[in-house]
Amino acid sequence: MIEAKNVSMKYSKKGQFALNQLSFYIDRGEFVFFVGSSGAGKSTLLKLLIRELIPSGGTLKVFNRDLGRLPKRRLPYLRRNIGMVFQDFRLIEDRTAYDNVAFAMMVIGARQREIRKRVPYALGLVGLEEKARARVCDLSGGEQQRVGLARAIANRPALIVADEPTGNLDPGTTLDIMNLLRSINLRGTTVVVATHNRDIVDRFNKRVIHLDGGTLVGDEQKGFYTHVH
Amino acid sequence: MFISGFGYIIGETFKGLYRNRWMCLTSTGVVAVSLLMLGLFMLVNMNVAHITDLVKEQVEIVIYIDDQASRDTVDALKQKLQDNPGVLEARYISSEEHMNRLRQQLGRALEGYDTELDNPLLASYEVKVVVPESVAELAAEFQTYPGVDEVFYGQGYVEKLFSVTRVLQLIGLALMAGLSVTAVFLVAHTIRLTVMMRKKEIAIMKYVGATNWFIRWPFLLEGFLMGLLGSIMPLVALYYLYCYSIDWVSANNLVFLACCR
Repeated sequence: MIEAKNVSMKYSKKGQFALNQLSFYIDRGEFVFFVGSSGAGKSTLLKLLIRELIPSGGTLKVFNRDLGRLPKRRLPYLRRNIGMVFQDFRLIEDRTAYDNVAFAMMVIGARQREIRKRVPYALGLVGLEEKARARVCDLSGGEQQRVGLARAIANRPALIVADEPTGNLDPGTTLDIMNLLRSINLRGTTVVVATHNRDIVDRFNKRVIHLDGGTLVGDEQKGFYTHVH
Repeated sequence: MFISGFGYIIGETFKGLYRNRWMCLTSTGVVAVSLLMLGLFMLVNMNVAHITDLVKEQVEIVIYIDDQASRDTVDALKQKLQDNPGVLEARYISSEEHMNRLRQQLGRALEGYDTELDNPLLASYEVKVVVPESVAELAAEFQTYPGVDEVFYGQGYVEKLFSVTRVLQLIGLALMAGLSVTAVFLVAHTIRLTVMMRKKEIAIMKYVGATNWFIRWPFLLEGFLMGLLGSIMPLVALYYLYCYSIDWVSANNLVFLACCR
């Protein structure tokens, strides 16, 4: 699913390495935490995965495609297979929860019939069917992130990439969202989560890839955030 | 997928227009006002050019024929004038015709010059030229033709007329260029603003994998519709304004505006 070989990233030619020679392999159906303090390179790594950035060294393959060589016009089709979840939700606030999820399907040209079936289903999965007609700006933070999750799964992606999905949420809501991500993972979707929330990482007992200063300092199955420190 | 994509684009265009109706109204207004200004100025400029052309057309060269010249010389002179490529038309005015014109202007003051022998006036050719600005050159050339006594073209004030019209033309061109640049700049800036207002939406579209054309089309169509509306309005306004001003001008016996109908 994801194959990184000596992946390096520099934002400028003479600058420091944001990522230095990372190598790892993530299989289909895995649930992986990327952990590390701010500036460790988690966000950079996620941006590489969705090809917002191109690695300055090494090869990074997602869905067996070398992202460094993916032509720009193929990029939208890569993104359709990746669902993204953001710390700041990135929803269209003056539209309803339903519209936000439907929007993601519309802009890739999904049929109306498909949209009418799939959007309520996705909202149901995240437990928001009752608030489908509420505008996003009237929803709580946790509910907004649920909409974000529903949008991420709307197009049935094989991979979910979440960048600090609970960074703006209180502990209770955080747990809800993480549980939703886990249940999405149990349906077969690969899930990659960048976080620095120790509690969650330790509680979930999943694979943990630990970054520090741009280098990979730990990669363990059923890992803990605290182990490496 | 294509059909539903097409429906999406059309639907999204009108939804986008409605959602951002104030922005769209502003943009359309800016386009309309810029074009109205430009159009108004172009009309003014066109009419200034029209008037200067009318004035320039009045410029002509008068060649007085030497009264000692033989008939053959006078005919040869006429031929030479008509063969000159700079000459539009050359009209022969006999000394009698000159006398008649004078008589019409002066009336009784010319009593005593009644017979042909008393006529002191010279016959002449009145020459209209193709390019009004070339009168000085042509006049100098005509001076060398055989049978020519003297050549007049309004020396002195014709040059002033031409320099005034040239300055007017230059000012008009400069202002029009300035206005065009301003209009283009204003329109481009407004479009940039509408795109920036929806930066977030565009970013989301890119994240979920919308192709670039899928993102662009609604914007292009919106822009097209706003541009269309913003140009039709000043066009209609200018048409009626111009027709109205022509009616007003001709009602007041000022006949120098170019007609629009």
